[in-house]
Amino acid sequence: MSRTNIVALLIFGAILGYFLSFGPETTQKFKAGVYRLLAPFLTGGSGIKKQITSVRSGLKSLDELERENATLQVENRELRATNQGLRDVEHEVNRLRHALNYRERSVFKLVAAEVIARDSSSWWRTLTINRGKRDAVDTDMPVVTDVGLVGKTTTVSETISVVLLISDENCRIAASLEGSREQGIVSGERVAGGLTPLLDLNFLSKQADLKPGQKVYTSGVGGVFPSGLLIGVVKSFRVRELDGQAQLTPAVDLSHLEDVFVVTGRR
Amino acid sequence: MIFFGCLLVLVLVAQIAELLIPALPWLYNAHVYIVPVIVFYGAMALPFPLMLALAFFAGVLLDALTVQVIGGRVEISAGSSILLYGVLAGIMHGLRPLFARGRWEVHCILSGVFTSLIVLAQYLMITFRRGSLVFTPEIWWQIGGPGLMAMAIGPIFFWGLQWLGQITAYSYGPERGHVE
Repeated sequence: MSRTNIVALLIFGAILGYFLSFGPETTQKFKAGVYRLLAPFLTGGSGIKKQITSVRSGLKSLDELERENATLQVENRELRATNQGLRDVEHEVNRLRHALNYRERSVFKLVAAEVIARDSSSWWRTLTINRGKRDAVDTDMPVVTDVGLVGKTTTVSETISVVLLISDENCRIAASLEGSREQGIVSGERVAGGLTPLLDLNFLSKQADLKPGQKVYTSGVGGVFPSGLLIGVVKSFRVRELDGQAQLTPAVDLSHLEDVFVVTGRR
Repeated sequence: MIFFGCLLVLVLVAQIAELLIPALPWLYNAHVYIVPVIVFYGAMALPFPLMLALAFFAGVLLDALTVQVIGGRVEISAGSSILLYGVLAGIMHGLRPLFARGRWEVHCILSGVFTSLIVLAQYLMITFRRGSLVFTPEIWWQIGGPGLMAMAIGPIFFWGLQWLGQITAYSYGPERGHVE
């Protein structure tokens, strides 16, 4: 091995050692710093992705139209494409109106955010949103939609934040059941097989007689999540050796999120 | 150095692209990893110090974008991805003579295997923290899927990077000879 290679290896080892010595706080700062640098690229990339998706869905609808009726004239296709574009706009207007209504009637102070990236790796269920410290967002703030709970913020940089979803194994939420005194802890699965992840509600009593469809809310214990936020509905219940466990379907469709709200406090 | 700079930019672009590419529902939600393919190509094409620099850069990005700090606890230490990339790129670097003889397929397969090894190492690390070592078919697909995808996209990326090396007039080094 040449001297240059040995020197390079030593420098690599020294920097590696420095990184490995990072504690949680330094790691958080390091992550936030990198996110701050990458924020313009992530936001720009998200915009490009939306444009590509929109073009692709437009082409798909044209393909379908061609299959349905091969004799359609070019003019007719153009009109349909325009119509589709207007429908997209209408859909977005409705969605934003819905979100605005929710924000106005909510008892919480909400910061509206757009999802710019999701699931950055295989083992953590996360989202990246376009709001950060500049918008009064901080770590461990609940993230919701008008339907229910989405997760909580973890890493927060100036302009973007990472949201840990309720479907992640590490996101543990104290929960209570509708029409029952039962309480438990909700957490996600390590790996979700299907598109819709399920949640586990653990530490219930064995006598808990849960019915499918029963709603599960945050209980407010723990300090991060305020009480009364809908987490999901009971799908099934089983008795284990020491406790009862229910499987929940999340109230929010976590795989198709576009807009969310960060709860920054109460009004 | 131009080629090295291009590889750094490509790693950055690929890392951002990975965040925007959705998981594959038909492959048990396995993720597509592009960065390892670029890093492992760099490991074969670059001299040792630059190979380490590229592995370091990719490791820093992976650590910064994936490692989670939850409840004041780090699941995977910052630096672990740098170590993983450094070791695996070092192994790939040792296979340069094969690549110089034009045996791309070995490196494409190894890119896939090493990509899966990175995901497996991450899984073992989080399992060590969380407890309960479980290996369900879904988990195996989460580990193997990215490797299969890397093997599939490997030849295209290798060809593209080879072309990039040519247009930047990159010399592949006398000890390895030129790639035909």
